[in-house]
Amino acid sequence: MADKNPKSVSAALAAATCSLLGSVPAAPVQAAEEPTWDFNTALLYYGEDNDRVQDLSLNILARRNYVDDRSLTLGLTVDTLTGATPNGAIRQNVPQTFTRPSGSSAYTVPGGELPLDDTFKDTRAAITVGWEQPLGRLWKTSIGFSGSREYDYTHLGLNGSLSRDFNKRNTTVSAGLAVAHDIWDPVGGTPVAFAPMLDVGDTGNKTGSETKDIIDAVIGVTQVISRRLLVQLNYSFSNSSGYLTDPYKFLSLVDGATGETIPRVPPPGAEGPSHEFRFENRPDERTKQSLYGQAKYYMGGKVLDASYRYMTDDWEIDSHTVDLRLRWPLGEYSYIEPHFRFYTQSEADFYTISLVDGAELPAFASADYRLGNFDAITAGLKYGWKTRSGKEMSIRAEIYQQDGTIPGDLLIGNQVGRETYPDLDAIIVQFSYHFSR
Amino acid sequence: MNRTRIVSVGIVGLVTLASGCSSMGVEPWERDILAKEEMQLTTDPIEAAIDDHIYFSKEASSGGRGFGGGGCGCN
Repeated sequence: MADKNPKSVSAALAAATCSLLGSVPAAPVQAAEEPTWDFNTALLYYGEDNDRVQDLSLNILARRNYVDDRSLTLGLTVDTLTGATPNGAIRQNVPQTFTRPSGSSAYTVPGGELPLDDTFKDTRAAITVGWEQPLGRLWKTSIGFSGSREYDYTHLGLNGSLSRDFNKRNTTVSAGLAVAHDIWDPVGGTPVAFAPMLDVGDTGNKTGSETKDIIDAVIGVTQVISRRLLVQLNYSFSNSSGYLTDPYKFLSLVDGATGETIPRVPPPGAEGPSHEFRFENRPDERTKQSLYGQAKYYMGGKVLDASYRYMTDDWEIDSHTVDLRLRWPLGEYSYIEPHFRFYTQSEADFYTISLVDGAELPAFASADYRLGNFDAITAGLKYGWKTRSGKEMSIRAEIYQQDGTIPGDLLIGNQVGRETYPDLDAIIVQFSYHFSR
Repeated sequence: MNRTRIVSVGIVGLVTLASGCSSMGVEPWERDILAKEEMQLTTDPIEAAIDDHIYFSKEASSGGRGFGGGGCGCN
């Protein structure tokens, strides 16, 4: 073989001569490995039915791998959001008019329909920077920064983690800490708690920006059980303090007997709400805890990925999440992966659907459906394939459905039979492309 | 009470798991399957991040696998 290539013959001769003479070759014997880049990119469409939220999202995660397992990770996400979202008010048999969050105009929802605020439009850009490296033979550490910006919201966060391998690297114990400082700067200002919705142009119920601070801690164990089975168990603690209210959501103020929203007539010449609405108010602190378990099991080429999470918080929300994925190879270069997820949560202790006129105001109240009692399922399929040059692509399509119930004791008078949880149907379509260079 | 209980259960669980784990596992030359890309805990970091973000925006729970996520107004 070698004699077909004069260059390799001369190189071999030179090397042999060097070694005979005991001299050191100019180039190092073991060349340093070149750093490589891994790019994970994805384009996502998330769309809810009934013209509710639509999101088009571009995601790029670039990872530069250095020798000795050190790596730098850079992430960029750009989301374009449009659509309508439930504003918190209950249905009425007559049309309802609401002042927009900006306070500069109003919108009207037809009688019998779930009130949606259709002014939802935002662009969100988020970046992440992370550095990971081993510390000695068994320890590994990482530090990271995250930041995001929307028209009305800014997030800044720092995170770090430390892990150590034990037992021939079959056991890994890890601990992580993340802190974040987020700033709300709502369109039209932050509403005062339980303040009434005012006429167009009247900003007497709004103040400036608000902040919240979040601390997250995670400790976990990853364990190799056998050649085919790997499990992970995590305990997480999260504390948020500051402004945790949604500044765009409010509640209907209703008659204690009929359950109908109290009508309101804007002054002559003014445009404004047709009924009495009060901005919501949530506690300024929340502590969440969760236990998370995940298993990966290899079955003759197929891989089952199963996880379960139990979460509980001091808003009295408990949730259970089960997530199952089965990666099923189709030949050497492609696979399909069915995905099923089930989620269920109980409502927050201050979740309600309306406030009663004349009754003493509760300390906290929100009609945000995301704090209500509901189940959700996700079902989907992913198809992935690899090109001969090693590039990987995948496409996934999923449906996401929320199905909730309003606890019967929250319904007053005519609300019984008319008010239903704003169920949600959404689709998720994603194309991913992974390559290295 | 609830908080103390779950912390205790979590810590006892992790310690039990860690101590019970010393007899489990594989030898270094038996890692052929575990080294496969599809056997990593997070096979697709972007998809994991996207899912965390969607569910954070639509549900009252977040985190578990990693940090709580967030960083959005998420109407």
